[in-house]
Amino acid sequence: MGREVSESCVDNLMIEMVSAYCNRFYSTKPELAARRIEAIGYQVGHQLSERYTMERPRFSDHLEAIKFICKDFWAELFKKQIDNLKTNHRGTFVLQDNRFQWLTRMSIDPSPANADLSQDSSGETAENRAVQITSMHLYFPCGIIRGALSNLGIPCAVSVDTSNLPASGSFVVRIKA
Amino acid sequence: MIVCIAVVGHQSFTEADDALKLHHIVHCSLDVIDERVNNPKKTGSTLNETYLGLLYPTENYKVYGYLTNTKVKFILVTTHLDVRDADVRNFFRRFHSAYVDAVSNPFHVPGKKITSQTFAERVSTIVKSFGLSSAV
Repeated sequence: MGREVSESCVDNLMIEMVSAYCNRFYSTKPELAARRIEAIGYQVGHQLSERYTMERPRFSDHLEAIKFICKDFWAELFKKQIDNLKTNHRGTFVLQDNRFQWLTRMSIDPSPANADLSQDSSGETAENRAVQITSMHLYFPCGIIRGALSNLGIPCAVSVDTSNLPASGSFVVRIKA
Repeated sequence: MIVCIAVVGHQSFTEADDALKLHHIVHCSLDVIDERVNNPKKTGSTLNETYLGLLYPTENYKVYGYLTNTKVKFILVTTHLDVRDADVRNFFRRFHSAYVDAVSNPFHVPGKKITSQTFAERVSTIVKSFGLSSAV
């Protein structure tokens, strides 16, 4: 009964959303922009989890719910599953996606715009800027995961592990006991 | 924990004098659902059908319950005496699908009453076809 749009439309919408929130709405306060984007993702995840758990039997524990997120939910959203799931058995899970769809087309621009910076520190600030920009784009999927899990009755906090950007995105889920 | 009241049979949604009775029935059935959910029996199925043969002095109702993965409960109160199990499951499946569509509305605030006109129309279609199919 639903209508479909092309994937590139969704990709473009994501890019424009991050750019609008970071550069126009909250240009001086990137943390507020990040929180707004994450809140949007929360609502989307909430509603999507309602839709994708329709035909399924109930989950018996947290691990089942996380596995559902890794396999079925991620496959519905991105047509692939999470590549790697790690846990410390004490409420923390790391979901690793080696080719995260919304980051595959991202290129880091080594712009010479900051030519007035001193030479020795320009290298690492470019690196930091790259990490900062890509992590902005990952707030939305963090929100999606948090919304989906909280709709399944699991309150949690989701953050991004930035050690491997932009090659792979890792999401760290901490369940609030 | 949202409760949707679906009344099928000889009454409609907006029957004013029965509103109190319906609220009472629904609250009782919520207690029964909670009992079944906290029961350590690990059936793990979504289609938690609580068939209560609730009898009232003048009329008798049947109450069916359905629990989704997101802890949303649907309760169906009907006055049909010979309802088939398959019909009720079918009803709940279609009702669930209409509910998911209504909740996916970006302007819907989770936790508040659903105010969508489309949802009301879809539900009344489902209700009407439920009555017809079990009149065989």
